[in-house]
Order: sequence, then structure tokens, then C-alpha cells
Amino acid sequence: MKRSRRVVLTMMGTAAVGAVSMGFVGKRDCGPGLTAVPGPDGKPFCRAVHGGFGGTLHHFHGHAHGGHAHGGG
Amino acid sequence: MQRIVCPERDDWRDTAEACGFDFHTIDGERYWDERGYYAFTLEEIEREIEGPTGEIDAMCLELVSHAVDDEEYLGRLKIPRAYWPLISESWHRDEASLYGRLDLNFDGSGPAKLLEYNADTPTSIFEAAVFQWTWLEQAIERQIIPNAADQFNSVHERLIEGWKKVGQGRHLHLTGTTENAEDAGTLAYLEDTAAQAGLATTMIDIEEIGWRDEGGFVDLDNRDIELVFKLYPWEWMFRDTFGEKLVGAPTRWIEPPWKAVLSNKGILPLLWEMFPGHPNLLPAFFEDDPRAAELGTSFVRKPLYSREGANVALISDGIAFAAQEGPYGAEGFIRQAFATLRPFSNQYPVLGSWLVDHTPCGLSVREDENPITGNTSRFLPHAIL
Repeated sequence: MKRSRRVVLTMMGTAAVGAVSMGFVGKRDCGPGLTAVPGPDGKPFCRAVHGGFGGTLHHFHGHAHGGHAHGGG
Repeated sequence: MQRIVCPERDDWRDTAEACGFDFHTIDGERYWDERGYYAFTLEEIEREIEGPTGEIDAMCLELVSHAVDDEEYLGRLKIPRAYWPLISESWHRDEASLYGRLDLNFDGSGPAKLLEYNADTPTSIFEAAVFQWTWLEQAIERQIIPNAADQFNSVHERLIEGWKKVGQGRHLHLTGTTENAEDAGTLAYLEDTAAQAGLATTMIDIEEIGWRDEGGFVDLDNRDIELVFKLYPWEWMFRDTFGEKLVGAPTRWIEPPWKAVLSNKGILPLLWEMFPGHPNLLPAFFEDDPRAAELGTSFVRKPLYSREGANVALISDGIAFAAQEGPYGAEGFIRQAFATLRPFSNQYPVLGSWLVDHTPCGLSVREDENPITGNTSRFLPHAIL
């Protein structure tokens, strides 16, 4: 017998995509590795620098969104 | 091995979308295609696919064990020197691998031949593990295929067990290009299996991963990324701005850095060098190796780094009769002998043989009118008859 006995999915089909609104960020010096982002009270707080991965994807495949630019193969 | 034409299930699109398989059609073209299926005998599956898959994986691990501490091997694979310690340390720490997919040429008339190893970021796992299994069950119920039909497919259960072993109770992040429907679907399925293994999970786009100087990689909530599955290749990570942060960061990656050795077509000539004449390997050489002349003027030319058939060319008597365009090839090329390409109803199938935790456990079949498999090549289900 080579086949699966039972395949159950518990999460697929219910995925939701969340969007983050950056809003206006007041000036604050966060130091190396950190960047100022708006906090829940509207005041800026320091958060880690993001966007350090993904650049090579765009180098090879432009800035296509939802198209064939992807990391799987 | 046969290709058998059969009727489609009337409601297959509804069934697909109900379980989150919304990339069944890509740019208006069929990707999932159940107008036919590939049928194999049990002997073909066990002797010609399952057995050789395990053997090829073992050969690959032996290659890795030599390569990770050998500057000549790593240099020939064109892996940036700055990451050699990262790769070596991940191997010697025995960092776990979850899965991989061998692409094989097989038409029932001789041994399967390794075309390449998708060791780092293989896709089509959902289609292989779940949707073709659903097809099998419903096709039997609806008498589309024989009642006694079986399928080489225990991928789903093994993924859950694999996550238990790999996860060890840690919080798992999953990352990739979440705006791409296919990658998002693959990530969602892997997240599902990880959750069924008892892991808490967080999904994050690859561009949203952050770096905190005193802590390491973090998510959007500033949570440390301790263990992360990435559907984004190592060779791109090495080139990205955060690449330099990889060395010394406490994050554990699935697939681990040592997999970067295998997700490189340079392993094809290295395997041929280590195991010359092996029945499941094709002769292969680096393009700048004088021994490449042994292949003559007919061969397949592949970049060390390429994806989904890009920049692959089929050369016959010195002339490229089939070629895919693309942005790859800067690191150089390898040449591989032709595998016999027998079409089935004018279609060229490529077998994807899946391993989870180094155990062969499933099969997917892609076909195309073009002998070079690409991103739009269709996925057909299979059955054991």
C-alpha cells in the first residue's frame, strides 16, 4: 500500500492577509539597526530595520507583484 | 508507465478553491490538469522510483559531507566564500532538513535518471500531497479510475512527523513571497502541517524580516525569529542586504544552509565524478572542464543557478533546438548528457520524487509540450494500477 490514509487540512482556505498602515512617523534617532515607526499611541518607537531580504528576487524578476516573481521552484 | 486520458471531475475547480488551491490556473492557462493521469505499476514505483530516490539522496549527502569542508568543491559550485563557514557549521551541527524533490527522467523503459535536485525551495508540495490524493479518492468513487487504484503518496503524514522532529516545540516562522499565489499556497499548506504537528506559527513576507543589532532576525512584532521555514533560495539570501547578517545569527533555517550545496546544478558533474557510471545518473561536466568534450556536440546546457528551466538549452549537433530565456548564467554552466525523451501523447513528463526527512514518500508528474519543464508546465495526477 503506497497511499496516504487520511489527509486533513485545518487552516487552508481561511488565510487572511493583514495590511499595516505606516502613517506619519515623527522624527526619532533610533541608532544602528533600528528605525522609527509609529507606535499605538501615535508616538514613534524604534523597531528593527526591515527589507533586508527580497532584493535579489527583484533583481532577477523585476517588481512584479503576484506574478511569476517568486522564490519557489 | 502509461498516460491515460480520463474525464475531469465536473466540480474540480470548486473543490480546489474550497481547500485554498487557487493557483490551479495560472495566467488563464491550466496548471492542474486532470484530463489525464500517469499510471505506473507497483514494481515501477518501488524499484525504479522509490528505491533510486533514496539511493540518490544518500549519494547527495555523501557529496555534501565532502563538499562542506573542501574549498575546491565550494569554489566549483560558485558559493560565495563568506558563507562557507555558515554552510560547514550547519552540516556539522546536523541541522535538520524537512524535504526536497528530485526531478527524474523516467519513461518505463530504463532506469530513472536524475535531472536535478530541488533541495532548497521545491514547490508543488500541496498538489502532490493533498490535491492529487483527493483526486484519487473521488476518481475511484466516480469510477473514473479503477477501484483498486493506489498512489505513491504518504507526503502529508510524513510532513507532520517531520515538523515534530524539526520543530522540537519551537515557534515556527514561515517566509517567502507571500504576494505570489503559488508560493502563498505552498506556504499556507506547510503552515497547516506544522500546526497539525503542534507548532505555533507566524507567517511573514521575506521583505518584512527585520534585523535588531543586539538580537538578530525579528518579525513585525519584534519577536525573535528562532526557527524559520523559507520559500526563498539560499543563493538569493547570500546576495541580499541582510546576507551578511546570516553568519552568527542564532536563527535556524529550514532548509538549512548546507542544502545550498545541493540546490546547485554543479552537483550533477560532481556526482558523476564521485559515482561514474551509476545507472541513475547522467554523464555531466562543468562547461569549462576539458572532459565536457566527451559529451560531443549534443547535450543539455544548464546554468549552475537557475529556476524552472530558465536559461536551459537543448543542444543537438551544436545547435540549440530548444531553449528557455532567463536572467541566469552569470556563475557559469554545466553540460549534461541527454536523457531519452519519450513523449506520451506529444507531452514530455518529468517526475518529481519527494523526500521528507530523507524518506522517499511521494510522486508528482509535470508535463509540457516543450521538453524543458518550466513554471507553466502542467501538473497531472498519478495512480498505481
